[in-house]
Amino acid sequence: MADAPVIEIAGLQKRYASVDAVRGLDLQVPRGSIFGFLGRNGAGKTTTIKMLLGMARPSGGSARVFGLAADAPHASVEIRRRTGFVSEDKELYDFMTVDDLVRFTAPFFPRWRRDLEERYRRTFELRGDMKVKTLSRGMRTKLALLLALCRGAELLVLDEPTAGLDPAVTEEVLQALVGHVARDETTVFFSSHQIAEVEQIADRIAIIDRGRAVLTGALDDLRDNFRRVQLVFDREAPQTTFRAAGVARVRRQGRVLTVVTSGGAEPILDEARALGPVSVDVAPVTLKDIFLETVATED
Amino acid sequence: MLWYKAWLETRWRFAIGLAILMVSACGLVFAYPQVARLMPLASTIEARGEIGRRVQEAVQLSREYHGYIWSQWFRQNLIQMWTVFAALLGAGGLLSQASGGAALYTLSMPASRARLLVVRAAAGLGELLVLAIAPSLLIPLLSPAVGDSYSVVDAIVHGACLFLGGAVFYALAVLLSTIFADIWRPLLISLAVAVVMALGEMFVRDVWPHGIFSLMNGEAYFRTRHVPWAGLIVTTAAAAALLYGAAVSLAQRDF
Amino acid sequence: MLFRPNPSLGVPIYLQLMEQVKHAVETGALRPGDQLPGIRPLAEELVINPNTVAKAYRELEHEGVIELRHGAGAFVTAHGGGRKAADKVRAAQPVVAAAVERLRARGLTDEEIRRMFEAELAGLTRTGGPRG
Repeated sequence: MADAPVIEIAGLQKRYASVDAVRGLDLQVPRGSIFGFLGRNGAGKTTTIKMLLGMARPSGGSARVFGLAADAPHASVEIRRRTGFVSEDKELYDFMTVDDLVRFTAPFFPRWRRDLEERYRRTFELRGDMKVKTLSRGMRTKLALLLALCRGAELLVLDEPTAGLDPAVTEEVLQALVGHVARDETTVFFSSHQIAEVEQIADRIAIIDRGRAVLTGALDDLRDNFRRVQLVFDREAPQTTFRAAGVARVRRQGRVLTVVTSGGAEPILDEARALGPVSVDVAPVTLKDIFLETVATED
Repeated sequence: MLWYKAWLETRWRFAIGLAILMVSACGLVFAYPQVARLMPLASTIEARGEIGRRVQEAVQLSREYHGYIWSQWFRQNLIQMWTVFAALLGAGGLLSQASGGAALYTLSMPASRARLLVVRAAAGLGELLVLAIAPSLLIPLLSPAVGDSYSVVDAIVHGACLFLGGAVFYALAVLLSTIFADIWRPLLISLAVAVVMALGEMFVRDVWPHGIFSLMNGEAYFRTRHVPWAGLIVTTAAAAALLYGAAVSLAQRDF
Repeated sequence: MLFRPNPSLGVPIYLQLMEQVKHAVETGALRPGDQLPGIRPLAEELVINPNTVAKAYRELEHEGVIELRHGAGAFVTAHGGGRKAADKVRAAQPVVAAAVERLRARGLTDEEIRRMFEAELAGLTRTGGPRG
């Protein structure tokens, strides 16, 4: 039952000429999960993905996919045989048509699913003679997704799959992903800015900031454990540091002390009682706020 | 299917090149009667310097058909246009897509970078071989129409010399295209190198008579009917080395 | 019948699903013996993670609201868990009544008492209920 994680990243580093894109990333993606990889622009998401697929080589640390070393050339070919990838800009050969692209891609994958290909051609309304260079961004995304989903891949790696898409197409894409995971027990690892879509379909997330993971965990656990505790005092809110573990942020505004914590409200309430607040308010924290709080604290 | 992609990527460059070369070959053959009639006037031309010497030599050779074909086709038209196409076909490679981003798609396929390069290079070389030989074969085919004949074997041998000798320029363009993301720099640098070497060859002929271009136009075969094996082996090895370098360069690159 | 859970509520999606099913059973929209949609089709229809649907179904089975028949699907139980839930509520009523009395005795207003209960409920981690 204890399956090895599909993706295992430990201390991963990537240094470009002047920039440290990834500075010691640790991350594990369990089999069968839909894993959301959140981070600001330039936080290192795309670089990490490129390293997983052998497009860039790590400067340090290790990345393993299916237990294979991502930076070993032969292993990397094997990884790519079992992985479907959609890049951030969804660029495909613009001198080809939809049919050409399928003819190019399918022979690489012995487990190519003709049945899925038919289905997605239909649902995504992709005609074989459509030229890639005339496709809108939404159509290109759908085509890229079709090419990734029909491979019989065990893992899907998607870089911002719904970026720039209108809500209707976004929904189509998410639905195709969810349907695919449900039917074929694929693992999905996707990076995104769209918090809403991550909340909707991911069961695990990691937040990356400046090349490091600042938060990882099951989304439900985060929803259970992150709380915003607001303490109102009848005087200036006291200057306190809370000893409880998991305090992400403490804000003082006049008579109000607001604590955002990842360790549940209990420990905070325990310490807060000693300060004698006039009122205590506990509220859950949305993923968007969790993101903003954990990323902002680095400043 | 990497071959399929290589074909789709290069088919227009290849087709245009083939068309141009075929038309040029036809034109050359059918121009001969005119040229032959102008021969008596040729001795009145006075020319000086290296260029002048070459012009006079070309005229001399053109007095008879075989020499005409060699000096005008294999030593001039074909070699010049073919070299341009060699650089052109070599320059658009994996990285020229990098500026568009589709390079990531190629790199996400389960194929090693070496395989990507080998297929691409082989497809390009195949096209260049056709570009060297097919138009040349038109010449023995059409020659009877102007009352002359040209040996098929000679056409093939000259075509092969061109291909084996000139493959280095293709390989150079491929190597450069693993370093530069655009299509222009590999193309222009390769052409510049070709031009410099051609000019150099022309002017230091007396000191060093074994230039790459004389290899490519099969001069040794034309004059002495000896195929210049040694030279061709050297250029083939050089082309292979450049392609190997391209593979190494590609393997190390971060995208 | 089952509509989209709201992912940004701060309440786990599987809990929202469970609530919907229980509500449907209470109102009679789902009757004992009715079959629930399969995990995969439901995940696809609601566009949520299939693991989430699976978890919701498991917990519902644990609470006796539905039963998962191997290979056949998920069905509302004979008593729909409704009786069980209603019994639970009725049995717990005196506990609440006693707590409210004691807090009033300490001088807390009803407003304060309500806010304290909300705060306690929001910190769901410690007080039992479905585990995450």
